[in-house]
Amino acid sequence: MRASTAAAATHERQGAPGWVVVLARELHDLWIGGRGLLLCLAFSILVSTIAYLAATNEALNFLEQREALNLVVQVGMIVGALLTLLAGADAISGERERGTLESLLVTPVSRRQLVAAKLLAALSLWLAAYAVLVPYAWFLARDLGVVGTTLAASFVVGTLLAACFAALGLVVSLLATSNRVSLSVSLFALLALLAPTQLPGGAKQGWFADALLHVNPATAGEHFVNRVIISASGWDQELGWLVSPLVATALLSAGALLLAGRMRLGGGTGG
Amino acid sequence: MRRLRTAMALLAAAAVLPPSAVAAPGLSASVDRTAISTQLGRSFEFHSTITNGGPDTARGLVAHLSVLSLREDPYVDPEDWAPQRVVFLDPIAPGGSRTLRWRMTAVNAGTFGVYVTVLAQDPRDRPAPNTPTVDLRVAQRRTLNSGGILPIALAVPGLLGALTVAVRLRRRE
Amino acid sequence: MGAAVEARGIAKRYGSQIALEDLTFSVQAGEIIGVLGPNGAGKTTAIRILTTILAPDRGTFSVAGIPSSEPARIRARVGVLPESAGYPERQKGEEYLRFHARLFGHSSASARAVARALLQEVGLAERGRAPIATYSRGMRQRLGIARALVNDPAVVFLDEPTLGLDPAGQREILARVRALAGERGAAVLLSTHLLDEVQQNCSRVLILNRARVVAEGPVLEIVRRSAAPRRARIRTTPQHVERALATLNDSAEVQEAAIADGAAGSLTLVLAAAAIGSDDGALNAVVEVLLDATVPLLACELEGARLSDAFLALTEGR
Repeated sequence: MRASTAAAATHERQGAPGWVVVLARELHDLWIGGRGLLLCLAFSILVSTIAYLAATNEALNFLEQREALNLVVQVGMIVGALLTLLAGADAISGERERGTLESLLVTPVSRRQLVAAKLLAALSLWLAAYAVLVPYAWFLARDLGVVGTTLAASFVVGTLLAACFAALGLVVSLLATSNRVSLSVSLFALLALLAPTQLPGGAKQGWFADALLHVNPATAGEHFVNRVIISASGWDQELGWLVSPLVATALLSAGALLLAGRMRLGGGTGG
Repeated sequence: MRRLRTAMALLAAAAVLPPSAVAAPGLSASVDRTAISTQLGRSFEFHSTITNGGPDTARGLVAHLSVLSLREDPYVDPEDWAPQRVVFLDPIAPGGSRTLRWRMTAVNAGTFGVYVTVLAQDPRDRPAPNTPTVDLRVAQRRTLNSGGILPIALAVPGLLGALTVAVRLRRRE
Repeated sequence: MGAAVEARGIAKRYGSQIALEDLTFSVQAGEIIGVLGPNGAGKTTAIRILTTILAPDRGTFSVAGIPSSEPARIRARVGVLPESAGYPERQKGEEYLRFHARLFGHSSASARAVARALLQEVGLAERGRAPIATYSRGMRQRLGIARALVNDPAVVFLDEPTLGLDPAGQREILARVRALAGERGAAVLLSTHLLDEVQQNCSRVLILNRARVVAEGPVLEIVRRSAAPRRARIRTTPQHVERALATLNDSAEVQEAAIADGAAGSLTLVLAAAAIGSDDGALNAVVEVLLDATVPLLACELEGARLSDAFLALTEGR
């Protein structure tokens, strides 16, 4: 009798940990399934267009050339963050709508492991976007003498923002009752956080406004990259701007893992 | 537009004061260098000194840095060249002087004139003369290769497109 | 050996709505228990609690000897085919099974072997390398059963496994369900609306209605206990059918009479509850009524009571 034989076995895991299995599956679906490559292709076309327009504008002065480089880098980081946000927003609510969540929940893999794997898979989109961004950033930065600074700053800030927004998308996905709601709310949150980055410099006044800019991880990250690339400030002078992206990433990731433990089949969290 | 505003500010400063009023007679302004050569994108600095040779303490003085192109092109936006262009001076005692350090970045190539204007906060006072103009020459260096971006702008999407098609074909098989 | 599934006093509420109240039952290894109930009775909630997807508000349970306080261990020992199971369309069947096998701790090589063996077992060996998007409804159900078996479970929960299948597909699925219990020795909880399939395949049945257990036990006992109406089938000459119908419908012994499909002159009867005392008594009364009306009787037989009758008696209007 196979069941009793199996019952006698200790059923210890021989394979990889659950989160590794889920991560491998997510990465396979994303990249071998082709969706990730399509997104990267679209991203590269966007960056190509902006970089070409920036590079061929010979009327730009030296500072404006740095601003153009900064623009390409900022677009890269924002679009990269957008991709991870969308992946996160689809992670749980998408499984619910496709009817595949229940099958995952009846495995020995804990809900937290499931969410952690989805978070890491979402981050892979940023890593791929960054890899696409590198040749453009290198080309634009090399004659401005800021290649190392540009690549390092964009990687650090971009990774923080990508992780932050992926976690945000996951939190929304865990709470939303439908995938449409999850994607809409996530996009709205992203736009709300990014909007202040488009304000003209003169509008940023007063201690409260300044505090808001520091607290908002998107504006803080944008500010850091601005200062490092355009104003050629040292990293040590501007490190304070990285605090809120770090804190936001940590809080949202912890929040996602906490909510994962209370994940419900029908959306929301609770017993 | 900015060039026009700068010029008008200078003119306004000169027009306000009746010719007979003097901020502090005996004020003079000088620079430590009258010629600077650098390359596009490089930073440089010079010093200007305001000396009070008069009998009275000079108060309410404002030093303003200006840069303009000595050719028609390129357009110069002073904000791009120096983050700080205005300094409010402490009172200068008779016989005393103040030396200011000006840090700038050469954001355009070409021939430029750089000078410091000393103005008075009280519009009844006539400002001190400007410093001599610093002859600034900025050599061009290649910072953007417009032709070179095209291969990258085409190759990266091209490679990704080919990879996408290859993966999809392999999946179909 | 303890029960494969043991539930005591399980209760679950969604806000003010009671989904389950005092669910108590047990299932032994190798047994197939049918879980029946109208829509909203609590069948799926019960399965989700026992498979640790939902936490009960009250009560305890154990699955495969593992208490409810260890949900991860329980999940390692059960196989589940959810009611509305979805499948990743782009994945291939074998890929899908390999993934789930690895989630249950199989190594890569072991998962591949398990996937191939299960595809063979459920008759999908030829389609293992095709995308699930190309699978029919029946194939997906078979794939779902295969997935429920990747960890060689001690207990298998099947929620509406024959939903949407044609009769041939239903028969096939039920044959596999019987094999689960018979060959693998697993305890099977089969939640279904198809009462005939429960009657044919399950040794015991659990009937839920409005969140409560209304009957639990062997099928025959349930049918006997529920005072289900009995049916009979008679045959007369075609020219006497109308008179036979009128006579039977006027009779106190007969609740309902109708023309039956099949041979000409056949009628089916539902005997009135009051007429049911013993098999002979009920039928004798019918024969007497027809003879008095000079209706010739060519054949007469009593049909056994069915589970569907018991189910309706237990759940209708309560």
